[in-house]
Parts: sequence; C-alpha cells; structure tokens
Amino acid sequence: MDERSEIEPAPMKHRTTTERTSDRELVVTRTFNAPARIVFEAWTKPELFKRWWVPKSMGVSLLTCEMEVRVGGKYRLVFGNDGQTVMEVFGRYIEVTPHSRLVWTNDEGDEGGAVTTLTFEEKGGQTLLVKHDLYPSKQALDGELASGAAEGLPEQLEQLDELLVTLDASVGPA
Amino acid sequence: MTLTGMKKHVGVLEQAGLVTTEKVGRVRTCKLGPRRLEEEAAWIERHRQLWASRFDALDKVVEELKQKGDGRWTNEARLSPRP
Repeated sequence: MDERSEIEPAPMKHRTTTERTSDRELVVTRTFNAPARIVFEAWTKPELFKRWWVPKSMGVSLLTCEMEVRVGGKYRLVFGNDGQTVMEVFGRYIEVTPHSRLVWTNDEGDEGGAVTTLTFEEKGGQTLLVKHDLYPSKQALDGELASGAAEGLPEQLEQLDELLVTLDASVGPA
Repeated sequence: MTLTGMKKHVGVLEQAGLVTTEKVGRVRTCKLGPRRLEEEAAWIERHRQLWASRFDALDKVVEELKQKGDGRWTNEARLSPRP
C-alpha cells in the first residue's frame, strides 16, 4: 500500500475485539505472533509491562509498576503527569499459571471491583490472548460504561468533527 | 457554522442515533435520540481502541523478545522449569 511496505513488509497486525458478553462480563481478545511464554512475560515483568501498557495517546505515563506475580501477591500501578499522580490501580493475583493463565482482582474502587482473567492459548507459534472481566453486578459494569461515556465525550466530539471534515455533502437528512 | 455545515452535523448525529429529527414545513425539530445504547456501543469501541493501541505496543515488545532468541529464555525460564 505505502512505499515502506515494499521495502520491509509490515508484520501482520491482528484485530482487537471487545464485547460485552453478559450483564456482568466484558471480553477483549487479540492474537500475537509469538509463543505464549513471551506474551506472558510481557504481562508479568514490570520492565516489559511499562513499555506497552500506557499508549502515548493517553497523555499520562506509568510512574510506578509493582508486581508480585504469585498467588496472593499484590500489584500496583500508578499513572501520572510530570511526577504527579493522576490515577492508581491495585489488587492481587488470585491465580498464576505460568504461560497460560493469570487471574487478578481490581481493588481500587469503593465497592467490589471486577475480577480479571487472562488466558494465553498458544497455537502454531501464535498466542490468542483473552481478557475477561467479571463485574460483581450489572450495576457495576453499567456504572463503568456510564462514567467512561461521560469522560469520553469531548474526545468523541473531536472525532465527530474530524468525521464531518471528511464526509461529503451527500450525508445528511434527505 | 453554515446552514449546510449544520445540516451535515445533524445528519451525522442522527445517523449515530444521538438525535432524531422531524421536519414540519420549513422547521426541522431535533430531539435526543436512543442514546443509551449508542453510548454503550461508543464506550465499548473506545475501550477496544485503547486495548488495540496497547496491544500494538505489546506487539513490538513481543517481537523484540522473539528476536533475542531462545538463549534468553533458557536463562529466564524460572517460571516454567524445563525437563
């Protein structure tokens, strides 16, 4: 497509899917071109985790990343701007099966948070990663969606503006 | 904003279900549309985009680890003792 792709073929990028599979469940999936042990390492070693967890577009960085990856071990992530804490998330690992399964709690909220289950399924040198969040109640997940929706609105409107710029005049009420 | 621009704006909002419109004579009236479901869909899509950008970055990390080869992994195989 572009000139670069002729020189160095871009590695295949897999699609990320997200689905609310029930009132209380949210599932994200993605395939990686690597064995499960490598993908697992990238999730469990702070020095690797720090390199990918915070997308540049988020405008914050990961100031602290502590992980005791064992059953009952704690994790803590602190996000911030210029050394100032913006957000902190923490919890503990409740299941650790090397290279195939990680389960942790999300304890930063006031009420009971979601339990996240991560599975790594290796097939032919690729790994299917499934991240499953189970919320304690429908209200908890609804609340998450509602708060996120409100926060995201300015960004949405910007996207709408961009969309409007690119749309041609044919779009509109007939 | 011009009238044409406004028409486009409203058209997009209407397509997204954020508003419904009704035209009576020269006047088109806008009302808030079936927004809740759309909000949820939008949240899920933003959530997907967040994870997609994370995973694109993770691709790079994973690729780099792969390049380093298996020697590294035999040294670091504490988590999975090999026979």
